[in-house]
Amino acid sequence: MSLTQGDEVFAGVHESALNDMLRAFFNARPRYRVYGSPGFVPATSVTATQMAALPLPGGASVDWAIGFEIPEIDLFDQSKPLPPQLSLAPGQFSLKTKIQLCLNCGSRKDAGNDQPGQEQGRIGRLGRALCSELGVFAIGHLESWHNGNGAGEVWLRVDQVELVDITPDSLESLLECLIRLVLDTALSQVRIPLQTLRAGAFHLIVTRGPEIADDRVKAFGNV
Amino acid sequence: MSEIIAAIDETGANTLLADAIQTVGTLSKSGSGNLGPFGASYTVHGSFTSGAVDLIPPDTIRIDHLHFAWHADLSFSIDLNDFLPHFCLPQVCIDIPCVGEVCTPEICIDWPTIPIPTVSFGDFVEATADFGLDVALTSGNWKVQIVVKNVSQLQFGPGTAAILGIIAAAITPLLLAVPFIGPFLAIAVDAIIAAIGIAGLTGFLGPIISPFISGLKVPVYNQPKHFELLPAAGANDPAVFIELDTVQARIEGSDEDELVLDIDISA
Repeated sequence: MSLTQGDEVFAGVHESALNDMLRAFFNARPRYRVYGSPGFVPATSVTATQMAALPLPGGASVDWAIGFEIPEIDLFDQSKPLPPQLSLAPGQFSLKTKIQLCLNCGSRKDAGNDQPGQEQGRIGRLGRALCSELGVFAIGHLESWHNGNGAGEVWLRVDQVELVDITPDSLESLLECLIRLVLDTALSQVRIPLQTLRAGAFHLIVTRGPEIADDRVKAFGNV
Repeated sequence: MSEIIAAIDETGANTLLADAIQTVGTLSKSGSGNLGPFGASYTVHGSFTSGAVDLIPPDTIRIDHLHFAWHADLSFSIDLNDFLPHFCLPQVCIDIPCVGEVCTPEICIDWPTIPIPTVSFGDFVEATADFGLDVALTSGNWKVQIVVKNVSQLQFGPGTAAILGIIAAAITPLLLAVPFIGPFLAIAVDAIIAAIGIAGLTGFLGPIISPFISGLKVPVYNQPKHFELLPAAGANDPAVFIELDTVQARIEGSDEDELVLDIDISA
């Protein structure tokens, strides 16, 4: 069977190349995997993205941070082990990462009582920061857009997250929901142009795909 | 299997190479050669148009009817003595009473050498060319080119034979200015054109045009090794790069022949 399969052009990116691209992205722009409120992230920079503190009743707030290791992607067919709760179906990818959640539990910050420069630091360096690191497995799918000029992007969407050995189940489900939302949002920002997915080779106006199969992201189309 | 595979079938390759050959642009060359019995200097320029592409595993791309439209500016000189008869007006002596015999000198006609400043003409040649694949990392860029390895005999276009008429038309007014040539004009033109002949013309043009075709290199891939995955998007989002560690090219045969690029990358 030819690679182009009846179309004129084929581009296929193996999962190892996709992981290289994600590593390159997150190493160049770590702020897309490190988020925190001002106590942890004093300002948005290349290394971290500042977000608002979590509001508490009465107008107070609590500093928080969340970060994750560069995820390792496995494209269908499955070649990396998954917890039994997850199974990789055609068209899906799995990912494995570690996620670090931090809260500054030292004292309440009341509204109007903030002192600039107080509680500044990075994840895990706040004196009153409480952090936990969780191993995460997830399942997701690919989304994309493309047009008739050959432009387009692909990105990853996270559909399901599995944390192992957390009890009670309701807490596990709660954390899985939170982590799924965080990972899905963060990874959705990693938009890889179709042109770079094929390393600039051959003009490709997509007619089929991008789709996941045979450990690759595949796209078919015309010149 | 390579990390990134890009493949294009023959239909796509026809489009790809038609565009790629256009990027080669206009080629030109100047020099001198033998146009029949004449030494001629020339400037030739021309451009290619792709023909029908046939991908032949494992490493050949054949382009049938590869078309090279060319234009030549030619200048040469003609020594008319090579073509026209030498003749002399004989000495004539007359006896004149009281003066004696008076003789005219013998007058011999010496034909000049006529410079032909510029004759412009053009046509096309077609050939079937077999290209190989050339992959090189040059100045930090990965380049894949198809490079001619065999060319069939050049087929000159139908306009080539008419070039002799163009040359004849160009030299006729110049010959008309030569004293005493009147009765010999037609003889001179015919002799010059016969001396060049189709064989002389193609023998002149062939060695000039062949190198354009045999030296043809058509780029099909050209990307920096330090490949930009994403451009910079503000102070907090620097450009993202990957390294293209290796690039290979092949013609893959299955139910359809394809030009395939195999690329391995690293972060």
